[in-house]
Amino acid sequence: MEQEFDAIVVGAGPAGSACAYKLANAGLQVLVIDRGKFVGAKNMWGGAFYGGDLLNLLPNFCEEAPFERYVTRQKISFLTEEDCLSVDFASPKFKEPAPHGFVMLRSKFDRWFADKAQEAGAVVAPGLGADDLLWDGSRVVGVKAGSDELPASVVVACDGANSGMAQKAGLQKELSSEDMKQGVKEVIELSEEIIEQRFGLSGKEGIAWEFVGSCTQGLPGGGFIYTNKDSLSVGIVVQLDALVKRKVQANDLLEGFKSHPEVARVIEGGKLVEYSAHLIPVSGINMMPELSRDGFLVAGDAAALVLGTGLILEGANFAVASGIAAAETVIEAKERGDFSNESLSMYRRLLEDSYVLKDLRTFRKAPHFLENPHIYNLYPELACDVARRVFIGDGQPRKTTWDNVRDSLKGRASLLQILPDLWQGKGAI
Amino acid sequence: MNIIVCVKQVLDPDIPPAKFRVDSASKKVVPPEGIPPVINPYDAQAVELALRLKEKHGGKISVLTVGSNGADKVVKHAISMGADEGVVLSDETFEGSDSFSVAYILSKAIEKIGEYDLVLCGRQAADWDEGLVGSVVAENLGTSLVTLAEDAEAVDDGLKVKRVTLDGYQVFVVPLPAVVTVSNEVGQARLPSGLGIISAARRQIPVWKAEDLGVDPSLVGSTAARRKLFALSVPARERKCEIIEGETPAEAATKLAVRLREAGAI
Repeated sequence: MEQEFDAIVVGAGPAGSACAYKLANAGLQVLVIDRGKFVGAKNMWGGAFYGGDLLNLLPNFCEEAPFERYVTRQKISFLTEEDCLSVDFASPKFKEPAPHGFVMLRSKFDRWFADKAQEAGAVVAPGLGADDLLWDGSRVVGVKAGSDELPASVVVACDGANSGMAQKAGLQKELSSEDMKQGVKEVIELSEEIIEQRFGLSGKEGIAWEFVGSCTQGLPGGGFIYTNKDSLSVGIVVQLDALVKRKVQANDLLEGFKSHPEVARVIEGGKLVEYSAHLIPVSGINMMPELSRDGFLVAGDAAALVLGTGLILEGANFAVASGIAAAETVIEAKERGDFSNESLSMYRRLLEDSYVLKDLRTFRKAPHFLENPHIYNLYPELACDVARRVFIGDGQPRKTTWDNVRDSLKGRASLLQILPDLWQGKGAI
Repeated sequence: MNIIVCVKQVLDPDIPPAKFRVDSASKKVVPPEGIPPVINPYDAQAVELALRLKEKHGGKISVLTVGSNGADKVVKHAISMGADEGVVLSDETFEGSDSFSVAYILSKAIEKIGEYDLVLCGRQAADWDEGLVGSVVAENLGTSLVTLAEDAEAVDDGLKVKRVTLDGYQVFVVPLPAVVTVSNEVGQARLPSGLGIISAARRQIPVWKAEDLGVDPSLVGSTAARRKLFALSVPARERKCEIIEGETPAEAATKLAVRLREAGAI
């Protein structure tokens, strides 16, 4: 078959659609294939997109995109079985000068984004999965989909965590459960009024709420709640190997999380309308594959471009940024008529110069640090215990906060245990 | 043989029950957000029969659908299976049309296409299960009609159609042009090939509006509906659980029997 496409993008998630949109706008012939029955059918995230990449790529994003709410509050809570100590951050800076975060549902957003790529001229073909790569010697020259061979000058693998394409290209090794977290999520429907009332929101305001502590029963991970327009995304993210070792099911942890009084209160009366689960690559730069080879680039989760620092777990913005960088690389490679690895190595340079690899380098020690179980049992317990002592009097003479901290520590941990954590944390997060 | 297949978009039968809802006030099914409609499975089987006929006898397959947002997707599905072309029939005035009006719109489009030997429809749509449109199209076009076909082939004097009955089948030979509705016994609709999906994805599906078709606006839309939907609701299902206790199994069983009798269950 004669070559029709400059680029085949495998996977229509944020990375793939960003890449295809940019390529099509530059006039390249681009095909996007996606294994899902429709675009977005198989895609999942917690719920929020941060940063300005989409706004820069799509000038009318705020007016056109099917987002649920802006992120106007960011809350983090430490949980014990019964207690909850929260930091609730609200600031006009969330919306000024441009919105900083959007709460979105993937099935709607991904379809919209792929439609944008299609309007720009990309051919978007859902229901079509890439089974293998086409080779000419050591050069990738297209993909195999079922019995069809689809040639292209370059293949951009945006096929998500556990990328079959990056593995087939010999760039990514078989992934280990130590490098992955499992996310499970329920979408719980509630009326707009109830959500606004329970969370103190109005209009398009929304909250991104992260939880650390008893919700993962001491396993590395956390819980989250995002406010959609008329539903909540409620889920947890847990280290995969820890789940296996402890023989715990992620959905049992999710049930436990949902029954915590603070969570149960906000989801009460809601109707479960969607359940989903997904793997998240979390070892950052430590597990990142080679990013290119002759005729081949890898972007987004497939390249493990996910940042987890304990306080934040972001991937979609990295996906979009890497998809755009891949597109810029392909556009220049096309001008040069050279899709060799050397020509495509511009991709890595673009990522090195952007926040993508800079952030992953800054936080390269975070994945190891976050394995420390103290973060998930000891410190939330301590924090809540100190709060209990400070806020709930028992008729006894009051103590200073410092003495309360000391009493709290007694029998739980010694300074000798805590100091190394602080030292490690200083360089990691 | 030139074949026109009429297809309809329906709610994806794979959606979880929690996503299915109706708005009793407007008496409409509320489409679930984020999940696009799919081609009616019976209509995909009609496309399948069309493809088999084309493989055997040659010709062209055109696909028609009446619908608005996303209707091109079901036409593209048929094209990805192997149909040659398709048209979406869409107009604001079509909104709320009943089966008779839909059949009228389709008939106008079929007349506009003009050259056809055979019109195929699925036996019924998987949403309302009425199975009216095919028959009314045949009436409008004044052609012969065979319903519930499980197979067909071209013969000298027309089309030989095997029709499913309750405990066997009938064989008809009808003159062409004809309208045939296709039953699920025809077998599974083929999956689109990769190249089929790509070639469909790059197509622009033309849209014909009421004026393109010469449709009389007074005969379509909710005002023209020959019958009105009186009420639409999801049946309420109630479950109750009572624990019947007793000192001994015998006592518990006796109490259970009494309770069941009171409830009218035995």
